Amino acid sequence: MLINTRLNQVNKLVSVLLTVFFLLTPVFAADKNTAGDKFFEEKVRPLLAEHCFSCHGPDKQKGGLKLDSKAAMIKGGDIGTAIVPGDPAASLMIKAVGYEGDLKMPPKGKLSAKQIADLSSWVKMGAPWPNTVAAEVKDAKSGSIVSGRDHWAFQPLRNPAPPEVKNKSWVRNPIDQFVLQKLEAKGLKPARPADKRTLVRRAYFDLLGMPPEPREVEAFLKDDSSDAFAKLVDKLLASSHYGERWGRHWLDVARYADSNGMDENLAYASAWRYRDWVIQAFNSDMPFDQFVRMQIAGDLLQPNNHDGLIATGFLMVGPKMLAEDDPVKMHMDIVDEQLDTISQAFMGLTMGCARCHDHKFDPIPTKEYYSLAGIMKSTRTMETYSVVAKWQERPLAGPVEVAQEKEHEELVKKAKQEIKKTEDKAFAEVVAKAKMEADSYLKAAQEKNKYREGLGKTRMKAGKQVEGALLIEAESFARGNVLKDVESYGKGIGVLVNAGQLPNFVEYDLDIPKDDNYSFEIRYAAAESRPVRISLDGKAKGEFAASVTGGWNPESQKWEAGFLAPFKKGKLIVRIDREGPFPHIDKFALLPLPKGQSLDAQVVSTAGLVPGFIDQWIAYIGKGGKIPEGEAFKQLVQSKDGPFARPRNIDLVLPPNVIATLKPLRDNLAKLEKDKPKLPTAMAVSEDKPQDIKIHIRGNHLTLGADAPRGFPSLITIAKVPKIEEKSSGRVQFADWITQPDNPLTPRVAVNRLWTWHFGDGLVRTPDNFGRLGDQPTHQDLLDWLAQSFLQQGWSVKAMHKLIMNSATYQMSTEPNAQAELIDSENRLFWHRQRQRLDAESFRDSLFIISDSLDRTAGGSLLGMENRKYVTSTGSRGFDGYNTKKRSVYLPVIRSSGYEPFQAFDFPDPSVTMGRRAVTNIPAQSLLLMNGKLVQEQTRKMAEYLMKQSGDESKKISMAYEILFSRNALPSEVQRAIEFLNLYQSAAQSEKVSKDESLIMAWQGLCRSLLSTNEFVFVE
Amino acid sequence: MHSFNKSLTTRREMLTQSANGFGMLALSAMLAEEAKADVKINAPIQDPLAPKAPQFPAKAKRVIFLFMHGGPSQVDTFDYKPLLERDDGKPLPFNKPRVVSGQTGNLLKSPWSFKQHGQSGAWASELFPEIASHSDDICFIKSMYGSNSRHGGALLELHTGSDTFVRPSMGSWVTYGLGTENRNLPGFITVCPTLSHGAENNFSSAFLPAIYQGTPVGNAGTPSDKAKIPFITGETPTQLQRMEIDFFNRMNRERLQVTGPDNALEGRIDSFELAFRMQAAAPQLQDLSSETPATQKLYGLDDPATANYGRQCLMARRFAEAGVRFIQISHSYKWDQHGNLRKDHAKNAREVDRPIAGLLYDLKQRGLLEDTLVWWGGEFGRTPTAQGGDGRDHNPHGFTMWLAGGGIKPGISYGATDDYGYYSVENKVHFHDLHATILHQLGLDHEKLTYKHAGRNFRLTDVHGRVVREILA
Repeated sequence: MLINTRLNQVNKLVSVLLTVFFLLTPVFAADKNTAGDKFFEEKVRPLLAEHCFSCHGPDKQKGGLKLDSKAAMIKGGDIGTAIVPGDPAASLMIKAVGYEGDLKMPPKGKLSAKQIADLSSWVKMGAPWPNTVAAEVKDAKSGSIVSGRDHWAFQPLRNPAPPEVKNKSWVRNPIDQFVLQKLEAKGLKPARPADKRTLVRRAYFDLLGMPPEPREVEAFLKDDSSDAFAKLVDKLLASSHYGERWGRHWLDVARYADSNGMDENLAYASAWRYRDWVIQAFNSDMPFDQFVRMQIAGDLLQPNNHDGLIATGFLMVGPKMLAEDDPVKMHMDIVDEQLDTISQAFMGLTMGCARCHDHKFDPIPTKEYYSLAGIMKSTRTMETYSVVAKWQERPLAGPVEVAQEKEHEELVKKAKQEIKKTEDKAFAEVVAKAKMEADSYLKAAQEKNKYREGLGKTRMKAGKQVEGALLIEAESFARGNVLKDVESYGKGIGVLVNAGQLPNFVEYDLDIPKDDNYSFEIRYAAAESRPVRISLDGKAKGEFAASVTGGWNPESQKWEAGFLAPFKKGKLIVRIDREGPFPHIDKFALLPLPKGQSLDAQVVSTAGLVPGFIDQWIAYIGKGGKIPEGEAFKQLVQSKDGPFARPRNIDLVLPPNVIATLKPLRDNLAKLEKDKPKLPTAMAVSEDKPQDIKIHIRGNHLTLGADAPRGFPSLITIAKVPKIEEKSSGRVQFADWITQPDNPLTPRVAVNRLWTWHFGDGLVRTPDNFGRLGDQPTHQDLLDWLAQSFLQQGWSVKAMHKLIMNSATYQMSTEPNAQAELIDSENRLFWHRQRQRLDAESFRDSLFIISDSLDRTAGGSLLGMENRKYVTSTGSRGFDGYNTKKRSVYLPVIRSSGYEPFQAFDFPDPSVTMGRRAVTNIPAQSLLLMNGKLVQEQTRKMAEYLMKQSGDESKKISMAYEILFSRNALPSEVQRAIEFLNLYQSAAQSEKVSKDESLIMAWQGLCRSLLSTNEFVFVE
Repeated sequence: MHSFNKSLTTRREMLTQSANGFGMLALSAMLAEEAKADVKINAPIQDPLAPKAPQFPAKAKRVIFLFMHGGPSQVDTFDYKPLLERDDGKPLPFNKPRVVSGQTGNLLKSPWSFKQHGQSGAWASELFPEIASHSDDICFIKSMYGSNSRHGGALLELHTGSDTFVRPSMGSWVTYGLGTENRNLPGFITVCPTLSHGAENNFSSAFLPAIYQGTPVGNAGTPSDKAKIPFITGETPTQLQRMEIDFFNRMNRERLQVTGPDNALEGRIDSFELAFRMQAAAPQLQDLSSETPATQKLYGLDDPATANYGRQCLMARRFAEAGVRFIQISHSYKWDQHGNLRKDHAKNAREVDRPIAGLLYDLKQRGLLEDTLVWWGGEFGRTPTAQGGDGRDHNPHGFTMWLAGGGIKPGISYGATDDYGYYSVENKVHFHDLHATILHQLGLDHEKLTYKHAGRNFRLTDVHGRVVREILA
């Protein structure tokens, strides 16, 4: 097999180790672009789009001339043909852009010499213009032009009758006729049926992703009825664990994750609602067409149902560049990601290719791509596009809750207005009075400033002692709601960091040794301004630590001088608080004033003046502000941002009686805000302004081409193409179009996905690509027959499971067959059952089952993070919230910081649709089994569990075999295990391990060995 | 619960014993050689990591990428701009870019003085005296530019060629194209990689098979002497581990009698043997105690300021010797001086200057520089205009990277920015062009190293990239 002829060859990597992979050589492919096409796309098309199309394009044809196709150029305008391919000198257009005659184009200004030369070279080349109507495409093999719509997958579903076969007794249902007919045609026989032990294990792992418990195996073995397996399948389909297994399959397709990944890895804290909805949809056997429609337009189809919103999480959970400085590009990239996922997930189409140029292999012209893009552009995904952008969260609330929230917002608004009114009035009075005394303020400030010189500088320096100084470590607070960080931002020093609860505050209970005047200094690091308020015994001293120190890390820690104040001997509560998160505070200090210096308050007369305004004047002077004279001074006094400006903390200038009046009002507001009803939210889309967009030439939003009205691709023929209303985005119609019964792609792609997950490989082995570069179906008739059955069964997924699993094809054994191996080494004809390696989740869940410690609680979030917080906050610590006993499907999926044991077992990159996981055997997988903590812990538990059981060694060994392999141990195996235990134990003891411990270790070693075997890791 | 382990024979001790008197280094080298020989003689061609012949004769066998995360300033390091010095404090005489990550003020001259070095007369500031002394071995590309003004986008573009979607990283493409020389080690190793700004996406294989993803050794939060490969060590003593492997691999072999031949099953048997060897080989390469005091000093291991990055550099040389194809060592997110430029750029430069110079010297004296391509740089440069009084903003529009060894012309400067060092203007080199050039040196044609995924052939350079032939020796 030559992988380079195949799409998604990662899918081809079947269980490999380093020495036994399938052929996988790098593909050195020839570029299919001709040089001329490339030249046109890079040099000429952008130039035409920028300078010509606005007057000679699809909208306007000045002078009767259109320049948007080669044919139109040759046809020319009122004064004749524009170009003569091959002959620039004879081409009117070249003359016009050269400004050679009367006709000078473009009229606004001559093109650059380089651009003119490019146009001329292009005409000289014969004016190559790549096909824009991609309904005709080059045949991948012969290179001849064929109609792209002829491709099998785009043809209507057929209704094939199950074929006649010779070995009728093998057939259990029509699936087998299709499979057997192909085998018989090649002279092959299907493998023998699997035995019952194998079947029960297969069914459990397949439908639930877990091994059967020994008693469940026994029960099935005892059931001799002819429909025993059918009953088992029914029973498993009724288990709530079924949705956890098959919902996870779909989550691979939906590129589900609980964090954004990409550049800014923020928590998708409500994504889990979508995940749980998917699991529930599978458990309730939601008809698949409805499942599709809900994910595209649930918000519109079921506007009064939370599930409607939640289901559109499918459109939301993709990775996004949230720190893209160009918002238009960000928007189009998000639209593209959504379209690409929708088209691959539901229809097996690789739409993304048509973003920059007509699809080279499938009949999807760029214009049709932008017709669909218009639908997504008319859909609201983001709340903001400014860095760091915010995706949309929609409240999950009924009309009552929404009304309540609105009412509450009104109350808050009113309370704020009332406070502001009082403040404004008081401030107007205070400032008016103060302005009359501007000269006194200036004088007081100048006086005070003089005394502050020298004191305003920090005296705390690393390594220097100031006599009598009180040095307080910030993390020694008595009360507070922030974290103490000693590992990253506070490495080696210990700092305060925001823990998520706002406002941040800390309080310290100090004991001041004697009455004295102190200066207050604070040491912190901040990369952005985060001023904190400091209060002594409840009295605010103002805002400090406002300047930026250059970073968040310890090396950016700096001392800053705060304020001067007299302190009384005895107890003092120092409070630091801030509405938002703190800077990284390391410590603060109280320094007695040096001899000879005293508090300004004692030497400057400030009677009758407002201290807050004096401080503002000092600040003004301190910043080097000039003191103008005459009229200019008056202006400074009146200026809204001068020294009499309204301070951010208005209490600094308000008289105490006003503050007292304000207190109840403010308390009321604080209470209101605290009582704000918290509505749960879901990541969900909504309708945005409906709009058609233009073709983006070469995918670039800066070079726009012709209009692309919203609509649907023409590659498949649908009797009733839904019409998009002008006032809607068209998403409902998009969902309709995908799920129309005569859309042949959707049911074909869906049943092929189911087949892939049941068998390891699909009837089309590229489940995410049914286009011309995808694989041909191995059993096209069977695929269509299954698709028709799917439609007839009302898109019931569970009905399809029953159909497939009750076939003889599904129930074959894995037995080898040398002849079949020669004819069909890849098992494309399904002559035997393909052995399946446990996937990451089944492996982990099995570990918890064998140690009897699985928590089977369904649903809910384990992320443990606030929405939109960085999941890897410090850049130096990965996400570590994987410590749970719940099923693997509930583990957070963190992009860019994946769970290592899962990565070792081929958990897919959750950024792209993955209909079939790779199965590789990277060294990390073996290392995980040998050294991984997860394996270490669970095998220890299993060892302890076994040792607790009654009976002798052989009985316990048998039990281990039953738990792990669903079978009894052979006597020889028991014997060998006993020998292993003995040898292992004495080897451990020779290393000075106690006898008891060595026994546990031996059992653990045995358990780990057994679960490292191929028999455990592969399902037959 | 497992404190008894301390008394047990360590894996390393046992290997030393079993190696009958060979020193650790000898053992390590032996393992490497053995692995190389193994591959040549026995490996079937299907092996995805088997060394593959390049498309055309290669000048370089491996790459060491010295990544300066955060964005070192070109105008303070290697791109000398007399006019910037002259016009300090004046406004930039031309327009700033349409899209910027933050606002900047007027021109800010470099606080450091520049002078010329070596025969080539390369300009370098006093920030990098040691690296500058190797100027005659270096090719400075002063006209680099990218497309994204944010760390995340720029890191992804630098590492994967795309600042828009998740794509395979450069190291993954290289191992996909060339395989690995040493089967006991991963082909692509990244030491102390960042966990922000794209994190794993910067060394992931994306849609390439997982076997080509970079193996992280620690992360940006780990000191380099504590950095480890995931799962490389555990709690089970080696001899007991050996008993386990023997026990279950016997079961595995017996089962093959029942199942018949199956590549996947057989593969897993070998996988455990390989993992067992790897867990001895990899930590040995990270154990620098066998290096002579002179070598340790050369890399700055004797100085607390340089020891951390020095260890990474020395590890890189050892990985290179052992046959690792693509080695990235990251000087973690330190170079982002929006403020505190004077202090922090000086501190950062001091941390890496001597180690990098030591690496260049050591590679050269061992004859490794010839076929090792050493690559230095950050995700972007910085603006010549000021942020605050002592800082610069991100600048993807023009900055400097340098290459040494691996068939690159030594002792030259290529390309130029404008008079103030803002925009790349002469012989511009985009990330795509640099990627194309590096692949070329490894014997890979960037237009032909493709992988089919989601309906089309993907390349590291997408539809762009030009091999910068002017800098090839």
